[in-house]
Amino acid sequence: MGEELKDIIMSSIRRDILINTLNSGKRFDGRAFDEYRTIKVQFGAVTTAEGSARVSLGNTQVLVATKFDVLKPFADRPTEGVLMTNGELLPLASPSFEPGPPNEDSIEMARVVDRAIRSAECVDLDSFFIEEEKVLGLYVDIYVLNHDGNYTDAAAIAASAALLNTQVPKVEKGKILRGDYKGPLNPKPIPIATSFVKIGSHWLVDPSRDEELVAETKITIATTTDHVCAMQKGKGSLSKEELFSCMEIAFKRGNEIRKILME
Amino acid sequence: MAANEEVKLFVNGKRIDGRGADEMRAVRIEVGIIPEADGSAFIEWGGNKIVCGVYGPRECIPKHDASPYHAIVKCRYMMSPFASAEEHSKSGPSRRSTELSKVIREVFENLIISEKFPNTQIDVYIDVLQAEGGTRTASVTAAAVALANAGIPMKDMVSAVAIGKADGHILLDLGKLEDNFGESDTPVALSNRDKKILLLQMDGLLTKDEIKKVIEMAESACGKLHEKQADALKKFYEHGENEEFKL
Amino acid sequence: MDKKIVLPGDRIAEGRMNIPNAYTKDNGTYAAVVGTLDNEGHYIALENKYRPFVDDVVIGIVISVRSAGYEVELNMSNTGFIPARMMRMDLSLGDFVLCKIKMVNEVGDIDLGEVRRLPKGKVVQFPSAKVPRLIGRKSSMLILLKEYAGGDIMVGNNGYVWISEKSNVPLLLKVIKHIEKKAHKSGLTDEVSAMLQKETGGKKALPMENPPSAQMNRGMEEQEEEYRR
Repeated sequence: MGEELKDIIMSSIRRDILINTLNSGKRFDGRAFDEYRTIKVQFGAVTTAEGSARVSLGNTQVLVATKFDVLKPFADRPTEGVLMTNGELLPLASPSFEPGPPNEDSIEMARVVDRAIRSAECVDLDSFFIEEEKVLGLYVDIYVLNHDGNYTDAAAIAASAALLNTQVPKVEKGKILRGDYKGPLNPKPIPIATSFVKIGSHWLVDPSRDEELVAETKITIATTTDHVCAMQKGKGSLSKEELFSCMEIAFKRGNEIRKILME
Repeated sequence: MAANEEVKLFVNGKRIDGRGADEMRAVRIEVGIIPEADGSAFIEWGGNKIVCGVYGPRECIPKHDASPYHAIVKCRYMMSPFASAEEHSKSGPSRRSTELSKVIREVFENLIISEKFPNTQIDVYIDVLQAEGGTRTASVTAAAVALANAGIPMKDMVSAVAIGKADGHILLDLGKLEDNFGESDTPVALSNRDKKILLLQMDGLLTKDEIKKVIEMAESACGKLHEKQADALKKFYEHGENEEFKL
Repeated sequence: MDKKIVLPGDRIAEGRMNIPNAYTKDNGTYAAVVGTLDNEGHYIALENKYRPFVDDVVIGIVISVRSAGYEVELNMSNTGFIPARMMRMDLSLGDFVLCKIKMVNEVGDIDLGEVRRLPKGKVVQFPSAKVPRLIGRKSSMLILLKEYAGGDIMVGNNGYVWISEKSNVPLLLKVIKHIEKKAHKSGLTDEVSAMLQKETGGKKALPMENPPSAQMNRGMEEQEEEYRR
């Protein structure tokens, strides 16, 4: 039997007992409602890439690696570098992921992270210009290694961490000198995504897989220190008051996570 | 490095990375690193970093693939687009990864006791995060550990190593440069108990005697790899978890 | 007692012996999964795939209702079937059920009987090789868990564990995870007892009235005896 069907049926049963537990002020894993799972960051996990980081949110693990290539710029922005973000939900990461081309979930995740990085303007794309018809392209590859809920936040944190870890390669005669670096990329400001789900009347930060499955509403808010830089509402609906209170928490958690990354 | 450039791969008994002819790169194996999977393993082998996850036996999809006599083994070997130190490559299956998926699958079809699970499939997912030559042999070594961790019954354990020839010398565990500029490359997988050959590929030119030497070298190297596999599994089951895991 | 870890392909006995999770070849018996071997030659699997046998007690989830009966998800590749004529009550989609395996055939079809519907709760997965440890000698572990977490808990051979919604669910989830990690260690009951006291400050929970598990888990105690040897 496919895990998907099981998940759908399970979600209706899980809902009751989860709400009961939430009503008593606790989550299944003992966390407070606005608390993240333990965040661990490993910088430079992949040495063949120009920058990389592996982030775990509890059991959820995401690896992001960055790589540079020389590319042709977009016709409408001939002097600007190219930023490309790709997401892979590896089938080894969860019984519900299947091999095959990117599906809507992985595309959505990659695009949310892409928007957060782009809108935060943390990468100076103008500095990627080499010569006419040649610019540096920066690939940001997101690999979800284990899915225990909320891979979007983990991906955004890992992407920021990987950018912090990225070295810009030297370019000579229009070619990248691999292993020879100009210096660090120095992304600024650092975007962080914070996801919320609503179950019953409760709003939870950093939902686990159990919580995601029964949630009615899901929203992701990406922030820099003083701006919101991307938002994405998933399923469900919410009021503006709810949105504002989520935003408050997103800034608070975002600042805490930025602190972890800068250490 | 240009292909026509003269590369000396073996000078004064030392290889380009300082190893001796029968010296392997450092190998680290970790178990249970993907809690969501039924079984998982990570291997760091020199500059290779590979994760492997196993699921099953589970319902066979599509249904017409299923056999009423045994479980089907499915294997998917993939290289990440950032795995090479050179340019960013296209993600998705290539002709190379399709072939490697097949030869790796054929290793485990010999070992898994699949008759107990009719109408099901066992998935072996292998993702190469970082590559430095010898990913298929490292993948086999890691997948064996992941299958053991998943509790899938097997007749034996297996480990694998590539042996090649460069500058006229037979060298154990080819690195990337040796693979690119060497004269021959022979990946070998051997079962642990009865030393059966479960994977064998070769390119380049070797004499009969050289092939004998290659197999002998593989036997001794696979013995050492088996100890690393056993140590990794023992360490995991002593602690029951692998929380301090680093890629 | 000295235990060492054996891997698939390791010789665990001389001669051809019929041992679970092992296979025979020529004149020897070999491990097929990772397990422990003590100095008296007892081999116990640390990981295995649950394989259904007649009379096993299993917990399942109803995933399909048909006129002929109910299809039940059993935490394995094959689903079980409850013929409708065996039932006095109606089940609905998503119900948790406790049943006994009545028939298994070569292609993996499973028929279930002696069905009881379980009240609202949560079902979690637990490795089937370690199920005897979660039950404990004469159900000692389950009794201990219920003492501190209240409510009720039931364990199927197939590795599904049902927890009543009246229990302290976060506490049970934490402790069950711990038992899973330390399943091969001795002195587990004492360790869990200390953990429960620390987590709850020694406060015991009120027992549940008429817990559904009252007549359960017998038969599995024998397996625990085996595990201890």
